[in-house]
This record gives sequence, C-alpha cells and structure tokens, in this order.
Amino acid sequence: MPDTPPGPSARLANWARLKSPWITIFNSGACNACDIEAIACLMPRFDVERFGILAKGSPRHADILIVTGPVTMKQASRLRRIWEQIPEPKYVIAMGACGSSGGVFCGLYHVTDGVENTIPVDVWVAGCPPRPDEIINAVVACLNLMKEDFTRGGKAWRQKKVEKTSDAGGHSEEVPA
Amino acid sequence: MTDPLTLGSVTEAMNGVGTAEQVSRNRIRIKTNPGRLHKSLLLAHTILTCDHLIQISAVDNGTIFELIYHMTGPHQTVISIAVELPREKPEVMTTSGIMPASGIYERQIHDLMGIEFKGHPGLTRLILNEDWPKNEYPMRKDWKPDPGTFYGGIRGET
Amino acid sequence: MPEILLPIGPQHPALKEPVNFKIVVDGETIVRLDLDISYNHRGIEKAAEQRDFVRVVPLLARVCGICSHSHTTAFVKGIEEAMQLEVPARAQYIRTIVAELERMHSHLLWLGVAAHEIGFNTLFMWTWRDREIIQDMLEETTGNRVIYGVNEVGGVRCDLTLDLIRASFEHLQKLEDRITQYVGMVKNDETLHMRFSGVGKLSKADALKYGTVGPTARASGVDYDIRKDDSYLAYDEMPWKVVTDTHGDVFGRTLVRIGEMQESLTIVRFCLENLPEGPIAVKAPKTAPPAEVLSRYEAPRGELVHFIRTNNTDRVERLDIRTPTLANWTAVAVSLVNQNIADIPVIVAAIDPCLSCTSRITLLNGRNKKTSLMTWDELRSYSGEYYRRKRCA
Repeated sequence: MPDTPPGPSARLANWARLKSPWITIFNSGACNACDIEAIACLMPRFDVERFGILAKGSPRHADILIVTGPVTMKQASRLRRIWEQIPEPKYVIAMGACGSSGGVFCGLYHVTDGVENTIPVDVWVAGCPPRPDEIINAVVACLNLMKEDFTRGGKAWRQKKVEKTSDAGGHSEEVPA
Repeated sequence: MTDPLTLGSVTEAMNGVGTAEQVSRNRIRIKTNPGRLHKSLLLAHTILTCDHLIQISAVDNGTIFELIYHMTGPHQTVISIAVELPREKPEVMTTSGIMPASGIYERQIHDLMGIEFKGHPGLTRLILNEDWPKNEYPMRKDWKPDPGTFYGGIRGET
Repeated sequence: MPEILLPIGPQHPALKEPVNFKIVVDGETIVRLDLDISYNHRGIEKAAEQRDFVRVVPLLARVCGICSHSHTTAFVKGIEEAMQLEVPARAQYIRTIVAELERMHSHLLWLGVAAHEIGFNTLFMWTWRDREIIQDMLEETTGNRVIYGVNEVGGVRCDLTLDLIRASFEHLQKLEDRITQYVGMVKNDETLHMRFSGVGKLSKADALKYGTVGPTARASGVDYDIRKDDSYLAYDEMPWKVVTDTHGDVFGRTLVRIGEMQESLTIVRFCLENLPEGPIAVKAPKTAPPAEVLSRYEAPRGELVHFIRTNNTDRVERLDIRTPTLANWTAVAVSLVNQNIADIPVIVAAIDPCLSCTSRITLLNGRNKKTSLMTWDELRSYSGEYYRRKRCA
C-alpha cells in the first residue's frame, strides 16, 4: 500500500486513463496477422472506440503498448526506444504466440524470442493470431491491472524479485480475474 | 500471348552458349558458365523475347553455389539459365545493366549467401540488420550461429 | 543540386510491417529512394531446410498473414509436383475458393488502407466492415479468420458441407451488393480522383523493365497473371478474365483491384456451384524424389515464386521465396522520382506493400543544414493540407 493515499488530481488522471486508454500498436517483425486483428478491433464490427480506446501513432500519447511479432533483431532496439518514450504509468501487452515466445519463429537466426527479452510485459494474449474478442479481453485485463496498481501504489506488489544484472525489467504476472 | 517456345528453337537461339533441356511442360533449363552468363541473358532477353525476370535463385548444395535466373515473356515459357560458382570465390558480373529488375535480388543474395556481384551500383545491406557481422552469410549450408558473436538486438542481453 | 535526406522510419499506427525508406529530396520533389527492409527478416528460408514437409507448412502460413494461403499453396503444389502426386479435384476446388476469398479480403483491406492514406476514413471503416463478411465465411469453412491452415501436401484439411455452401451463397450476395457500391464510389469520387489520378505513373515499358508484378503491372497494361499464364488449381476450368488497365497510375491500380474483386466473386460462385465429389486429400509419401521445381502463384499482390529443390529426404534442400512486394519495390523507387513529397503515402500504399511504413521522417535541409522531424501522421496531414490548398488555389 502507498504511504500517502493518492490525491484528487491523481485519482482524476487515473479515472481518465481507465475510462479512455490510448493504445499504440508496434509491429516488431510480425507476419501482420496480429496487426490486422488488432486494427479489426477498431473497425465497426468490434468497435472499441465506443469504450474510449483510441489508437494513436505516437508513443508519447499512449497508455498501453501492444507489441506484435517475435521481435526481430532489427526491431529490438527500436522497441526499447519506443517503450522508453511512453510516459509512466505504462503497460505492455504482448500479442500472440510470437510475442510470448517467438511462436513458429522461435530459435531462428534473426529473431529474439518474444517481447519479454526486450521490455517488461504486463499481459500476454494467446493465439496465432488472437481474435479481436481476445484482444479486447486483454485490454480489459490490463485496465483491471491499472486499477489495482493505482490503489497499491505501483507495480512492485506483483513483481517477482529476480536476481538479474540486465535491466530488461522484472517478471510480471497477470492478476487472476 | 505468342506460341510457347520449343526445345529446338531455344537451342538454336542459344547458339552453343549453353546446353538446354526441357525440365517440365513449360520450363526449359539452360546450363552455362559464368563467363557466358551475360551473353545468354542477352540472347534470352532479345531473341527469345523474355522481358520479365521472375527470380534469381541462389542455392548452396554444400560444395558449390548455383545461381539460376528465371525469365519469361509473352510466350509464357520459363527459361531458367543456371551457372555454377566455386565455393572459394563466388563472384559473377552483375546483370543489373541488362535487366534493372535484378538489382534488388542481387543485393538480397549478396546479404544472405555472400555471392559477389561485380559492378553492382550499390551492394549495401538489404535484409540483415546493421549490427550483423560482416562475412557471416546465414543461408550458407555450413553456417551456424556462434554463441559468442553479437548478431543484433540489444547488447548485453540474450 | 542540394539533396535532402528523408528517412521514413519504422512504426505506423494503422498498418502492417515496418520498412525504412531514405528518400532524397530537392525542395518538394523526390530525387532518389534507398531501401532497408530488414525489419521483418526472420530467417524462414533457413528454418524451412530444417523442418519436414508437415512442419514447414504452418511456418510458411505465417510468412505473411494477409497472403498466408498463397505461401502454403505455392509450397504444397511445388512439393506435389516434385512427388508427381495427383491431388483430387475437390481439394483443388476448395483451395481455389479459399484463394479467391483471400484475394477479395486482401483487396478490400487495401482499399480501406488507401482510403485511410488520403483521409477518407469512411471508406476505411466500410471496407473493413465488409471484410468481416469474408472473415465469417473463412471462419465457418476453415476454422480461423486470418491464418487458415487449410493446406497439406496431398490435399486440404477441411471439407465444405451443404449447409456451409448454402450459407456462403447468402454471404456472397451481400458482398456483391457492397462491392458494386464501391465500384460506383471509386469511379465518381472527386477527392479520390484528385489524389490518385496521375500520381505514381509507371509506363508499360518501365513496368516490364523493373520486373513489376501483380495489379501494379496490370494497371500499366502488362497482361501478366499466373492464373492464366501458368494455370494451377482449378482456374483453367472456369470462365473468368484478367483485369488490366492502361492508366498506369494509382487510380489504375485501384480500378484493377476492384475489377479483380468482382472476378473473384464469379470464380467463388462457380466453384461452389460445381464442387466435384470425392476425397479431399491423398496420402502423400514421406519423402520427395530429387527434383527442382519453380512454383508460381498469383498472390493478391502479384506473382509469388517458390523455388524448391528436393533431395530424396523429408525436407527441402533449398526453398527460395521471392515475394511480389520485393519485385515491386524497384517500381516504387522509379515511380517516386520527380513526384511530390505529399504523394509518398499514396504511391507506397498503391503497390500494396506487405510491409508497414514507419513513422519517423527526418527532413535535412541541404542549404542551411537544419533538421526537422516528421511522423507518418504528420506526413499524411501535410499531404491532405497540400491538396486542400491546391484545390482552393
């Protein structure tokens, strides 16, 4: 629990973030299927814009970063740079089998297997590609995490203490619904 | 669309530059040597009216490299011109002067297989990332990733 | 001549894969294009040499999510040719149906994306909404919306029942009404004409010289469609025609794609009405005899080539893939020269690249050496503003 309870402006900012999270979709060398399904969420059939979710190109305006692809070696440093540009509090959703472990591309010579090796991940979505319904479910899970993190003063409560010398970030777990 | 080419007409047009054989219903394969590559491509481009370059396939069969130029034209027959290159010194003249379409394919083959295309206007990196070490060609049969070398990504992390 | 470097970097809000362009400009006119497409390289060809025929098909289905069926069919028919395997007619028809549905969904996707590039977001929303009809059809038939693993060496893995066929006809009717609406919209809309006509012009001679394929080449008058020139699956058993155009610009490419959607509808209807009875697969041998096959396929973006060499084992010795987008990049470089910066988004989108364009642009002024940064969104609004001023001037 935080030492001092969050003030009214912090609570207002958090409410706005929960009610209207803005997302950025970053393709780290994917086959595009995940990107099509992520964009299909914004299209009239699934229409997440009615929930206030907006897809912005610039990471500086985003709350949630959705990463597709197995993170090729070329994209790894750019992914890290994009993640650093997102203002706190930031959340990362790793999409699909590729984002979790490299998927079918696990072990290939130009691929770093999965998003976790580059930036810390909050939510993983299974599927190849995950359906738009599953992506929306992941964003909702992320919003629940945001709510929980806010009342508990940050992400520290759900991070395992890992003895790692690299700064790839701690290991995050998904909160049981 | 014009009439498909026959083995006889191709052999005649090639005029001894290479040996032709019919490998499938609509594909004729011509084997020649690197020195005669330009001449055979020019003959295919002009006399056999092959105006579209389909692909340059690069194969490493363990001992030698093979480059196969596939072309087609209004006759809808595929003409494949194959050359073999020695493993120690795989180099050949560029064909981007005769067929500008080959420029980008040669760049890709150079990146992945290490075949040198002499005279190419710009054999820069196309398909491997900028941190990939020079002289490592992943599509060669004898290439294996070396755990001690940095191939790209974020330094200092696996 | 002062040259200004304009790198367009790797992250786009709405679209597919990343690519980096370095565009050299002189004022507002483009002089040269340098290309770097390593963002998406995963090393699939090397992996294909290490996996057997059964395990390499799911890998190839994920080379590209939009033309996933193209890659698996090209590979599988190449292996079947090497094995000299006769695939049952019903399997060929089912493959054709999925292939044409894929073409339709890809072209609708492209239409939406091209409309998004010029700010016509309504068309973006409408085309993607209608794509969902095709996704429903594919999901009912194959089980997945995007990467339908329908192919295997020897045939297909799922069959069409009578109920599915009946439902498909209803879906197709809805789709036909919508596509007819888009044909009218494209031909009559003034903004579309202004942004697409005369932009990115490629002559027939240039299209042939630079190895262009697909709708980009057919819009310049090149009559090159693998479905007719080197017929495969069931295409030579049904009446349909190749759509070409003579405009040679982005508008021509739009017309070709819309025409192809209508032809695909005809093909799917014919296949559903005349589906032959019989098995959907034959048991394929485990190994393939030594052979060299050039398997060509008309993907939605153009000619896709798989060069396969087999050597009496259960894996390929070499798989060399040439995607249609690689063939078309030279044409983009050529058609961008002497065009305006404002036309970059539209020209690049017009070849329907299976790559998404990034959003970082650095403008380096050669005269006063000052740099300024632009994102892809800003480039798109710059283009919109430029054309708005042009219309009012």
